[in-house]
Amino acid sequence: MLKIHGISFEQKQDPGRCRITMESQEGLRIKDVKMQGIVKTFPGVLANDHVDIDVHAGEILALLGENGAGKTTLMKVLYGLYRPDSGEILINDEPVSISSPRDAIDLGIGMVHQHFMLVPSLTVTENVVLGLRSSRGPLLDLESAAKRIEELASRYSLAVDPYSPVWQLSIGEQQRVEIIKALYRGAELLIMDEPTAVLTPQEADELIRVMRGMADSGRAIILITHKLHEVMAVSDRVTVLRNGRLVDTVLTKDANEKLLAQMMVGRDIPQTLRTDETSQGDPVLVLDDVWADSDKGPPALRGLSLEVREGEILGIAGVSGNGQREMAEVIAGLRKISSGSVRLKGEDMTNSTPAKMIQAGLGYIPEDRIVDGIVQSFSVEENLILKDHHKPPFSHGIFLQKDAISEFAKEMVEIYDIRTPSIDTQASHLSGGNIQRLILARDISRNPACLLACYPSRGLDIAATEYVRKKLLDVRAAGCAIILISEELEEIFNLSDRVAVLYEGQIVKVADVDDVTLDEIGLLMAGAGLTETDDGNSRELVDMI
Amino acid sequence: MKRFTKGLTAVFVLVLLVGVCVGFGEASSKVRIALVLASTTDDMAWSQSMYDALLALQKQLGKDKMELVVSERLGNPVDAGAAIRQYADQGFDIVIAHGAQFQSVVFEVAEDFPKTSFAYGSAFKTAPNVFAYEPLAQQGAYLNGLLAGYMTKTGIVAVVGPVESGDAVKYNYGFEQGVRAANPKANFRIAYTGSFGDVVGAGELAKVHMDAGADFLTGSSQQAVGAVRACAERPGVYWLATDMDQSSLAPDKVLASQVYHWEKLVSHMLDLRAQGIIGGQHLYLSFADGTLEFRVSPKLADKIPADVMSKIEKAKQEIIDGTLVIELPKGTK
Amino acid sequence: MQGIVISDVIIGILATGVRLLAPFLFASLGEMFCQRSGVFNLGVEGIMMMGAFVGFFVTLRLGNPYLGVVMAILAGIVLGLLMALISVTMQAPQGISGIGLHMFCWGLSGLLFRVYVGFITSIDGFKPLPIPGLADIPVLGPILFQHNWMVYLSILFVPISWFVLFKTNWGLKVRAVGVAPQAADTLGVNVNAVRYQCLMLGGALAGLAGAFLTVGQANMYADNITAGRGFIAVALVYFGRWNPVGILLGSLLFSMMNSLQLWIQVLGINFPYEFAVILPYVVTIAALAVAVKNVWAPTALGKPFRRESI
Repeated sequence: MLKIHGISFEQKQDPGRCRITMESQEGLRIKDVKMQGIVKTFPGVLANDHVDIDVHAGEILALLGENGAGKTTLMKVLYGLYRPDSGEILINDEPVSISSPRDAIDLGIGMVHQHFMLVPSLTVTENVVLGLRSSRGPLLDLESAAKRIEELASRYSLAVDPYSPVWQLSIGEQQRVEIIKALYRGAELLIMDEPTAVLTPQEADELIRVMRGMADSGRAIILITHKLHEVMAVSDRVTVLRNGRLVDTVLTKDANEKLLAQMMVGRDIPQTLRTDETSQGDPVLVLDDVWADSDKGPPALRGLSLEVREGEILGIAGVSGNGQREMAEVIAGLRKISSGSVRLKGEDMTNSTPAKMIQAGLGYIPEDRIVDGIVQSFSVEENLILKDHHKPPFSHGIFLQKDAISEFAKEMVEIYDIRTPSIDTQASHLSGGNIQRLILARDISRNPACLLACYPSRGLDIAATEYVRKKLLDVRAAGCAIILISEELEEIFNLSDRVAVLYEGQIVKVADVDDVTLDEIGLLMAGAGLTETDDGNSRELVDMI
Repeated sequence: MKRFTKGLTAVFVLVLLVGVCVGFGEASSKVRIALVLASTTDDMAWSQSMYDALLALQKQLGKDKMELVVSERLGNPVDAGAAIRQYADQGFDIVIAHGAQFQSVVFEVAEDFPKTSFAYGSAFKTAPNVFAYEPLAQQGAYLNGLLAGYMTKTGIVAVVGPVESGDAVKYNYGFEQGVRAANPKANFRIAYTGSFGDVVGAGELAKVHMDAGADFLTGSSQQAVGAVRACAERPGVYWLATDMDQSSLAPDKVLASQVYHWEKLVSHMLDLRAQGIIGGQHLYLSFADGTLEFRVSPKLADKIPADVMSKIEKAKQEIIDGTLVIELPKGTK
Repeated sequence: MQGIVISDVIIGILATGVRLLAPFLFASLGEMFCQRSGVFNLGVEGIMMMGAFVGFFVTLRLGNPYLGVVMAILAGIVLGLLMALISVTMQAPQGISGIGLHMFCWGLSGLLFRVYVGFITSIDGFKPLPIPGLADIPVLGPILFQHNWMVYLSILFVPISWFVLFKTNWGLKVRAVGVAPQAADTLGVNVNAVRYQCLMLGGALAGLAGAFLTVGQANMYADNITAGRGFIAVALVYFGRWNPVGILLGSLLFSMMNSLQLWIQVLGINFPYEFAVILPYVVTIAALAVAVKNVWAPTALGKPFRRESI
């Protein structure tokens, strides 16, 4: 057993060796797949630059790289979603032409996409048989398909109800449907694009076991990831991409996390950690027994209570969809609550407006930075003064003060290192990291009493991520109360003073980060704290709540 | 999208240019008449009655003496206004906007082209260079009503109306007086489709009227042809037409028609222009001067009893003499 | 109200309502397939016009209304293909494309009528075809079983459409590409091919709806004969929440209200005609406002599919 960040993985027995079992002789056709000299460009971007990779039956190949390194593009080429500009694909050393997913499926290639490719309105079975010939000609044969799905599900421990509509399934279940879809089509090479990104640690653990089982049955698996511990835990070999180019392919047993990180980033990156003592300031933002409805109707927040103190970071842990979005919207003044109260700096702000929350000292880094964080068609400088455009020095009477605005914008671009051709550039032309810097510049420069940071590092590369994290710590040091909503437990543990677990619209636990383990938090995120009492560990958690 | 818009603009400009060139290329020795219609020249009603009349006039005068151009489907007064202005700009002598809804755009354009004659109707408001014309639709309607009232067997007489406004109101009101004069006990029914051009809707309304027992039907506007066709399906039912003779559509059903002789009215306009009067007059179609005609279908003439026919002839004479005045609803002129 | 028996009036209202149903049903069911596949075809009105003209013209020249219907369907398929070419292959904005198609068809049908017919004339369309045995049932007979065959066909298309949409392999593809075209694409479904097929089917049914107006209802042709019925059909697809049964209910409500207001006017019931003629629209909109909303709309509706834009 290997223990990384408190999550245990079952270590493979014999890395690097193909395990061809009985099943592979049943007629699996793929022995190995090679991609050679793949070049793929998008307008202005060289996404893949002469990349070579290969994968063999029975092995798990990790495809490692930062966001934008070209991992997903390369795999979309293999799956026929993109046509490469040049390069070739060989299966069992024979060149093949893959011009559409249909071709890929026919060749035995399956892909589980990072953003699930499911039709939410259809049932599991309908999703699985979509695009396949039916045994009954033009008519659907859902009964026998459902039976086969149940067989596959039990063989690979992918429990799911074939008759459920997909929109009712949890994220973990939806992922199982994706895997079943590929297996149902006889996939022998399975591409998995960041499959653990949306899962709880326990679900991720389970998924890794499933992947191991599939590899053991003679299938080849390519795992796209940027999580080093996953690579170490599950893969046989690792191919590292950086800026669209191949860095190297190494055997996992010969590698370690530090080495892989260097290969991935190209240099040493120090990890941002909170080092000083936990603050004991006064509460700044207090939510008391808050109930709020979701968009679909049933309440998303069910008696949520929390308080954030001056000079601390409160990390919110939870599987997405447990009320994070609604909680953030309530705090930002965007969502009405049906009962309870919200207080900011001692003032009652229940069912206030976004403008009042902003004026009362709330900073907000929204989850969807492009849609909610900026006005895409506005320039950088216009976006920088969005929240204070009506106040001096940016405006005088009804007129905007162009000089003051430009001066401020230039200063912000300088201080926050926003990479933009000019302050007049349209904000939508910036990269994700620079948009986040712009939002940070705007909201931090207002000296907020409380900063609500929703998934602030999501989708950013390592450098930008570290920048954002460092800024959060700076703001904390300046006395700001920070709520950090994140799907990366590591981030929460590294930055926060305290961690709160959000489950089904309630805070089920709040604790100092030094007093809990990732394991405990992971169980609570999965709801274990509320139901399981048979094992000592969980009982202890329940007592703590 | 941008390229598309540009292309469209280019085509539009080209069309305008061609139109203008053709317009100025004509000699001025003949009279040039432009006609703007809300529906089409083949609607077998209001628009066609005018178009056919102008064609007849052109034939009578000769193509070298009269030029005729027409723009159709300009039900929207704004579009019609653009066409009217364009014709005036091209130097047409008379621009006829055949509909009361064109009143405001006609007056707007007429101010800018004081030497051009404009004509429109049914209406009464004039300007120095604007003629207003008006068929006294209630007169023929009254005769149609008499015929229906005398001849109905079920005692139910029905109107398939378009929209309750303008000529339709005058026609229906005159028709009702005729029915009541001939048969005070008759059940007079009136319903509207809410549209001028919904042929299918008019047909359905006629079917409902017939299902409910009506055996004499009438109605104005271009949608009426749908009702005429619906009548053709049912035995023992007759249609009474207005605007023009609609018997070609249902020879066994159209018992009589009130026919507008616009050619006489336009001819009169030309005479006035020759005297230097280019507008300012309110012109009528009426039985008195023969611009209105009450035409019984020759094929069905024997279906009308002689005494009924003589009563109708008498009424017509009284209308011409002025001894019989067909009332109009309060508030209309 | 003399001479009128109340039961006859009720039968009359219901029978008229059923007769008015057919063009809406045909066109709405066709549009439902288009929208289910993610294409918003506003050109239905125009395709109906062409179907109406072709059905009329073939019947006029060849004297065979059945042939007229077949040719109207073919014309509808061709126009559906044209819409597909513009909105699926060339990825033009669908709303504008549909309006453009409507204007094109209006112009073309008017032109063809002017050149090849020239004057309003009538044809012998379909006569009512009472269904033996059923037509004589009191009350129900006159309401349901004394119409022309196209009315029966339109009602039959409701269960057929439902079956095709929910019970066939092709229907599953249609439902998938309208909600998640990317997902369908990754499973090897040819998204654009499905959309082409749906637009052709929608075109065929719109052509049929148009032919009904001339060959099954008015027995003649005049300019702009559809008078907005195609647009109402598009609205009824929303009303029916992209479901054949919902579309039947919506069309039925609209047609019955229309029939009711005609009868109210004809019987001289004291009711302002202005309110009567808008009654079907008002009631339908009111019903839409309270109708169930908890369904999956085709979320990819109106969005052209580009694989490499994922």
